[in-house]
Amino acid sequence: MGRNCVKLFRRSLWVFHVNSGGCNGCDIELLNVFAPYQDTERFGVKLVGSPRHADAIALTGPITREALPRVVRAFQAVPDPKVVIAIGSCACGGGIWYDSHAVVGGVGKFYELLRERYGVEPPLTVYVPGCPPKPEAIIHGICVLRGVVKQKQVASYYTEEKAPEIPKELLGVPSFEVRRVRGV
Amino acid sequence: MRSSVSKLIEELGGYGEVRVLRKGLIHLKACREDLPKIAELLHWGLGGYFSVSVGVDERPVDGLLHVYHVFSIDELGTYVVVEASVSPAHPRMPSITPVVDAANWHEREVTDFIGVEFVGHPEPGRLILPYDWPEGVYPLRKDFPYDSKVSVGEVPDEVVVDEKGLEGYTKLPVGPYHPALHEPEHFILYVDGERVVDARYKGFFIYRGIEKVAESRLTVNQVPFIAERICGICGYTHSCCYCQAVESAAGIEVPERALYIRSTLLEIERIHSHMLWLGVAFHVLGFDTGFMIMMRVREAVMSIAEMLTGNRKTYGMNLVGGVRRDINEGRKEVVLRALRRVREEFRESMEDILRMREIVSRTKGVGVLTYNDARRLSVLGPVARASGIDTDVRKRHPYAAYKHVDFRIPVYRDGDVLSRLLVRYEEVLESIGIVEQLLESMPRGEILCEEVEIPEYRKGVGATEAPRGEDIHFVITGRDNKVYRWKPRAPSYNNIPSTIVMLRGERLADAPVIIASNDPCFSCTDHLVVIDVRRGVRKVVRGEELARRW
Amino acid sequence: MGVVTERYPYEPVEVPEGFRGKPVIDPERCVGCGACANACPPNALTVEDDLEAGVRRVKLFLGRCIFCGRCQDVCPVEAVKLTKEFELSAMSAEDLYQVVELRLAKCLVCGRAFTTVRLALETARRLPEDQRRLALICPECRERMSSHLISYARW
Repeated sequence: MGRNCVKLFRRSLWVFHVNSGGCNGCDIELLNVFAPYQDTERFGVKLVGSPRHADAIALTGPITREALPRVVRAFQAVPDPKVVIAIGSCACGGGIWYDSHAVVGGVGKFYELLRERYGVEPPLTVYVPGCPPKPEAIIHGICVLRGVVKQKQVASYYTEEKAPEIPKELLGVPSFEVRRVRGV
Repeated sequence: MRSSVSKLIEELGGYGEVRVLRKGLIHLKACREDLPKIAELLHWGLGGYFSVSVGVDERPVDGLLHVYHVFSIDELGTYVVVEASVSPAHPRMPSITPVVDAANWHEREVTDFIGVEFVGHPEPGRLILPYDWPEGVYPLRKDFPYDSKVSVGEVPDEVVVDEKGLEGYTKLPVGPYHPALHEPEHFILYVDGERVVDARYKGFFIYRGIEKVAESRLTVNQVPFIAERICGICGYTHSCCYCQAVESAAGIEVPERALYIRSTLLEIERIHSHMLWLGVAFHVLGFDTGFMIMMRVREAVMSIAEMLTGNRKTYGMNLVGGVRRDINEGRKEVVLRALRRVREEFRESMEDILRMREIVSRTKGVGVLTYNDARRLSVLGPVARASGIDTDVRKRHPYAAYKHVDFRIPVYRDGDVLSRLLVRYEEVLESIGIVEQLLESMPRGEILCEEVEIPEYRKGVGATEAPRGEDIHFVITGRDNKVYRWKPRAPSYNNIPSTIVMLRGERLADAPVIIASNDPCFSCTDHLVVIDVRRGVRKVVRGEELARRW
Repeated sequence: MGVVTERYPYEPVEVPEGFRGKPVIDPERCVGCGACANACPPNALTVEDDLEAGVRRVKLFLGRCIFCGRCQDVCPVEAVKLTKEFELSAMSAEDLYQVVELRLAKCLVCGRAFTTVRLALETARRLPEDQRRLALICPECRERMSSHLISYARW
């Protein structure tokens, strides 16, 4: 199965929204995406009521323990091939409460769980960071997924090859004796 | 005119030691056996209302588990914090729920998190913790590490609720997932034909362990950021409330200009929240055009917020002691101009919409909450104001810069969905007026109190009028730049139980709009599964179809 | 009312001044002090010492960033700044990292690598002249020296 969304979904993309316990910030920005100012129905992207009709899952929230079984069920209900749009800081990396006892912690940990328990490989995922991401950022995410625009964000690594020169006056240990006194 | 503050202190003095922590905050250390009597006095006798209960594990301090019940005496502009303690060996104290219905969920939460049992509670049982959470493990006790990942078990298919007296009625589970973007909530409606007989509610899918993270990992100045993310619509009120609680506990004076900026942003948040609610309410009524119109008018408010704070929603403006950013003259002008347009467009659209007979007939007389029920359940905000209770934290416990501005509190007596709609409509117009007054009269000066000293183990209460009602935070400061205990109580916590009262006797098709009218931090009409018990047939129906077909 | 739909993504969208977008660490300015990691509420910024490689690694994970700007507030050398960039979507979580590695410096007395060279130089620059030579001595050794000084009045 090609891991390329453009090959998988040639025409419209129907999205099922799963709120796995977030604050609703990302959910309202998602609501904005279908409102007059941004309006993704121009691209054929729309929300559907049943996971069975969906091609993509828009996941928001850090996946709380209470919501976990339902998220798994929703996940299994969306027919393959499917893609996942992880929206916001909670879905991408667990958010500000990533290590809380009540939270699984974003799609990364969720996929580990899926692999361990159900032997399911993670589907193609697009990460949309933000807290919450602007509606335009969400549209950008969908367009990157569809291949309409190029991904802008790439990892960057910098290694300091050589440390800067340390001036001589900092290199001497201060002139006094650190003497061991008897009995101390 | 009833008692003054000194008379209140005298009456409470009969029950224990009374201390005035600061203006508007009284602390009573009582014996736990007296709690029901004190609750009766404060909620019913003196005309106050029950606000929140907080359980605190103070074993490191004095070896006991403490419970604080907070009441608000609107008339005197005072909060009364009633403290009682139990030993961890016999953690039992009398419940105040038989006296004050509103304390039902609060006490169950304290049992879940601290392990104190409330004797006499009519419906004890797990409220917030997940089904598979082990017994006897209390997350908010100090010996439970905040990041321990207790293993996940299997969750039963059926939600377990108490169904006494409801056998024989058709059961309609509503939730937890929704076709169009709402949070996971689970209502179960019991219907007889078209009429809803009763309902049960299971929520708290969004329990993230925020309080535990805040007291374990975060510093005092990082908590405003987690507070803001409690809710994506009314986040800034939570952040302000927390800062106010710490400032009250530590006695920090916030500069005037910072208070004006906070109030401006709070009102902007109220405007966008109410507009969103109106849009969602119209959508739930089947009137999608209204939804689109509201989202359109609301966009200008989001742009204002983005310009002032750097983000449309999570403003990130608060630190303990003030705000991080200023509002300069140029931006002030832009905001005022934009708000004038917003007011015009909003008023025009709403006047047209309210003339529609369909909207009025579907909301008038529907989902009524009487004044008595509202008092009994301590409902807050627009829900209370629509049922005839004249309460608003901005007027009764003035905070930030509200004492410097003029505004009305709309109060309606019918208690139906239409009243709640009208209350919110008028509040938007009032809020626009408040922002204009604040921006015109903002004083010069500092915006952040740089040197803040926060002494250990001080108690503070911060309260604001969130778009959904009174938001109250209780803070006990700790050491090492941390908080010892932080309990945020969002207004929906008090309001959601009233949904069940509103649903009884109503038509099934009105259920979505009734649930939405409570504004439970968002509408929670959900995906319905209809189980026709008699014919053994299962159908899946979407919420909107339900609203249109039946 | 008219047509209000934006033409995004076919036309760019402007964000206001002060918009809190992607934080970027300027690798030339960063000294590896870790103030940003201390202040970061979700721990999206982390600082760890890799003793084998002899470097201090400052990592920024955009996936968990909440774009609050506290890192920008507390950075003593103005290395972290929030930009106006909001188009941050990526097809893999690995793309969301920025890593800056700086060489560690060893304590002159005990030899333990406790700071980066850049931080030692920056600290020295900010100290009064007669205390500059303490910059490359680790806190434990400094404490021992000070208590020795106080107890035995020897310097």
